[in-house]
Amino acid sequence: MSTPEQRPETAPDVDATSQALGPAPSPAVPDADASPAETGSVAPSEQRRRTHPITPLVTGWKIVIGVVAVISAQNIARLIDDFTVTRALIGAGVLVAAIVVAIAFSALVWWFTTYMVDEDGVSLHMGVISKSREYAPRARIESVSVERPLLARILGLAKVRVEVAGGGESYLDIEYVKSADAEDLRRRILGVATSTSTAVAGGAGAVGAGDRAQEADVDESVDTARGATGAASSDGAGNTATSTSGGTLQEVLYDGVTDGELIAKIPTERLVRSLLRDVGFLLGIVVSIVGVAVAIILAIWQDGLSFAVIIALLPTAIAVPKYVFGRIESGWGFISRITDRGLRMRRGLANTRTDNIASGRIQRFELRRPLLWRTPDWTAVSVTVAGIDDDSENGAQSALPVGTREELWSTLGHLAAPLGTADDLATLEHLLTAPAREITGVRTPIRAWWIARRTQVTVLLPGALIHRSGIVSRTVQIVPRERIQELTLEDDPFGRKLGVLDLKVGIAGYTLALGSLAREDALALHGVLARDARRLRRYQDREHWPQPALRLLGSETTNSTGADSQEVR
Amino acid sequence: MVTMTSDPDPAERSATAAHIEPTGSTLHDDRDGLLGADALRPVSATLIRARYVASIVAYVIWVLMIAGAIVVAVLTGWWWMAAIGVLPLLILLQSLAFTPRRVRAIGYLDAEEDLTIASGIMFRSVHTIPYGRVQSVKIDEGPVDRRYGLAKLTVSTAADGSTVVLPGLPKQEAERLRALLTDRGISTMAAL
Repeated sequence: MSTPEQRPETAPDVDATSQALGPAPSPAVPDADASPAETGSVAPSEQRRRTHPITPLVTGWKIVIGVVAVISAQNIARLIDDFTVTRALIGAGVLVAAIVVAIAFSALVWWFTTYMVDEDGVSLHMGVISKSREYAPRARIESVSVERPLLARILGLAKVRVEVAGGGESYLDIEYVKSADAEDLRRRILGVATSTSTAVAGGAGAVGAGDRAQEADVDESVDTARGATGAASSDGAGNTATSTSGGTLQEVLYDGVTDGELIAKIPTERLVRSLLRDVGFLLGIVVSIVGVAVAIILAIWQDGLSFAVIIALLPTAIAVPKYVFGRIESGWGFISRITDRGLRMRRGLANTRTDNIASGRIQRFELRRPLLWRTPDWTAVSVTVAGIDDDSENGAQSALPVGTREELWSTLGHLAAPLGTADDLATLEHLLTAPAREITGVRTPIRAWWIARRTQVTVLLPGALIHRSGIVSRTVQIVPRERIQELTLEDDPFGRKLGVLDLKVGIAGYTLALGSLAREDALALHGVLARDARRLRRYQDREHWPQPALRLLGSETTNSTGADSQEVR
Repeated sequence: MVTMTSDPDPAERSATAAHIEPTGSTLHDDRDGLLGADALRPVSATLIRARYVASIVAYVIWVLMIAGAIVVAVLTGWWWMAAIGVLPLLILLQSLAFTPRRVRAIGYLDAEEDLTIASGIMFRSVHTIPYGRVQSVKIDEGPVDRRYGLAKLTVSTAADGSTVVLPGLPKQEAERLRALLTDRGISTMAAL
C-alpha cells in the first residue's frame, strides 16, 4: 500500500537536491568514461543497440544441444539397435533442420533484443510476441560483471550482467557483446551508476554545507584524469601498475583487470595445493566417487552392461569432475585489484568472469581456514552482498579463493570497515588461529554441548560482531555492526529450562543464528545490537560512515583512485 | 556474565575490554512469564472473536471428521476406527482452548526508534525492527477482520526473507503505525 520504496539507494529528497545543486558531476562522468572506440555512445539521445550478430549462433546451439541430448538420452538404446545408413541420414537431416530452425529462432529473438545505456540507467527490451522491457535505474545498479562462457569466449564474446539491488533474480543480462566492447560497456554502466552516488554525495555535502564545492571539484578532476587515460588506451595507461612493457599481454591474460593496485593474485600452484590440502573437499570427492562407483556397479550388476545403462549413469559420473572443475575454475588465474569502483576480480579457466564488489555493499565476510591451510597460513574470503544471488562458489561472492596472510589483510583492509580494536590484524589473526575455547567471548552455557562450547564463540568488537565456528575448517564470520537490519530473540520451553535463548541477527542476504546463548548474554547482546541497528549507517550522517582502513592508502598509490570512491556504495 | 575460559592475548584483551556492556534498553527477562511481555502493548481483544469466527470452517471440517470416525466405528464395530478421530479432536480442542492465550501473547511496542513485535507462548519470538531499516509496510484486511474493524500489519526489512506480521490491530491503530513507520523511516533512514 504505502511503501517507502527505493529506500536503500537514495532518499528521493536527497536525490532531488543533488540534481538541483550539483549538475556538474552527472554529465561529466559518462563523458569521461566513453572511449573513442564507441561511436556516438555519449549523446543523451543514444540509439538502442543490438547485441553481437553472432549471438544467435551461440544461443541457437544451446537449444539444439538441449533437444538432441534429451532425445538421445531417452532413446539411444533403441536407436543403436535399429541402426541403418538411411536412418542415420534421416537423423542427420533432421538435426540440420533443427539447427537451422533453432538458429533462425534465435536470430529472431536476437533481432528483437536491444539494450541501451543512458543517463538514467540501463534498459533491455526483448521478446518477439510478448515484449518485455527490463529497466535498471542507475540508482539501483549495484555492480556489473563480465562473464565469458567457453563457447562465447572462443568466439570472442562476453556476457555483461548488471546486478540490481533486490533479492533473488534481480539482474539484467546483456548477452553477448564483443569482449572488448564488454569492458567498455561495463565501464560505461558503472560510470552511469557512479554518477548517482557522486551526485548524492554532492547533495549530502550541501546539507553539511561548504565542502560540497570542494568535493565536486575533486570529482571533476578525477573524471578528467580518467577521461585522459580512457582516451590513451582502453585501460588506465597512466597507471603505475600497467605501465610495464607486458601491459597488453597482461590485459589479455587478465581480461582487462589491469588497472588499480594489485590486491591478490593466485598462482596455479597454490590453487592446486590448496585444493589438495582442503580436507573437506577431498573427503567430499572420495565419498562421491565411492558413491558413484557403487551406483554404477549396482546398476551394471542389476541390468548387465549395456549402452543404455552407461548413458543413464553419465550425469552421475560427470557430477564429480564437474564439481572439481568448478572448484579449480573458481580460483584459476584469480586476480583482484582495487579500483575506484571497489574490488575488481577476474577468475576462470574455461569460462572466465570478472566481477566488481564495492566495499559499501558488503554485508558480511566469511573467512575460512581448513585444517591443512593453517601451516601455509592460507585463508579463503567470501562475502555476502545484497542483490547478488548466491551463485555457488565461483561467483562474485568469493572475494579471495585462497590467499596468503598479506593478501587477506589487504583484501579486508580495502573492503571491510575497521573492527575498532587497537590492532585489527592481530585480533583477527587471534580469532582465526587460536583454539575457540581460548577466545574471550560469549558461548553457550550448556555443559552437555561440549563440542559447541569448544568450537563456537561469539565476540562483540566495537566495529563488528564476530562469530567463530567450525571444528576442522575454522570459520570466522564478520558482521559489521552497522549492517544489522533486524534482531529476533527466540525462546522455547527447552531454553527456558536450561536458561538459554537463541538470537538471530538479520542482515541483508543472510541471517546469523547464535544458538543457545545464556539468557543474560543474549539479552545484553540484543540490547547492544538493537541500538546499533537503530542508530548506525543513517543517511543523515553518511560522512561518518566507517570506511575501509586501507582506502586512503589506496588513493595515494594509484592516481585514478580518487575521492569519488568515497561514496561508491 | 561473560564466560571467560582463559586469558586472551594482549591484543585481544584491548579488543574485548568493551565487552557487552548492558545498555539501558535490554528486554526484561522473566523466566516464568513471557519474554519481554511486560513492556509490550497487547493487540485488540476482538482478535480472539475474529479468530474463532475465521476458523469456523476449519472447526466444521474437524467436527465432521470426528463424527465420521465415530459413525464408521459404530457401523463397522471396529472400535479402533474411533481413534482416527482423536487427532482432529486434539486440534479442535487446543484451538478452542488456547486461542485467547495466543492472542494475548501477541504484543508490540512502537518505541522511540524501533518497533518490537512479539508472539507465541511456548515458542516465543521477539522481533526488533528499527524504523530506519524498514523496507515496506503493508496493511491487510481480510473479510472477517474487516467485520471486526481489525487490520493486519506486515513489516519487512532487507534481512534475509524477513517479514514480520502483527495481526489484530484496530484499523486506526494500524494506520497510525503505518504512518509512524513511514515518517520515522524517512527521517532515520539507514542504508543497507
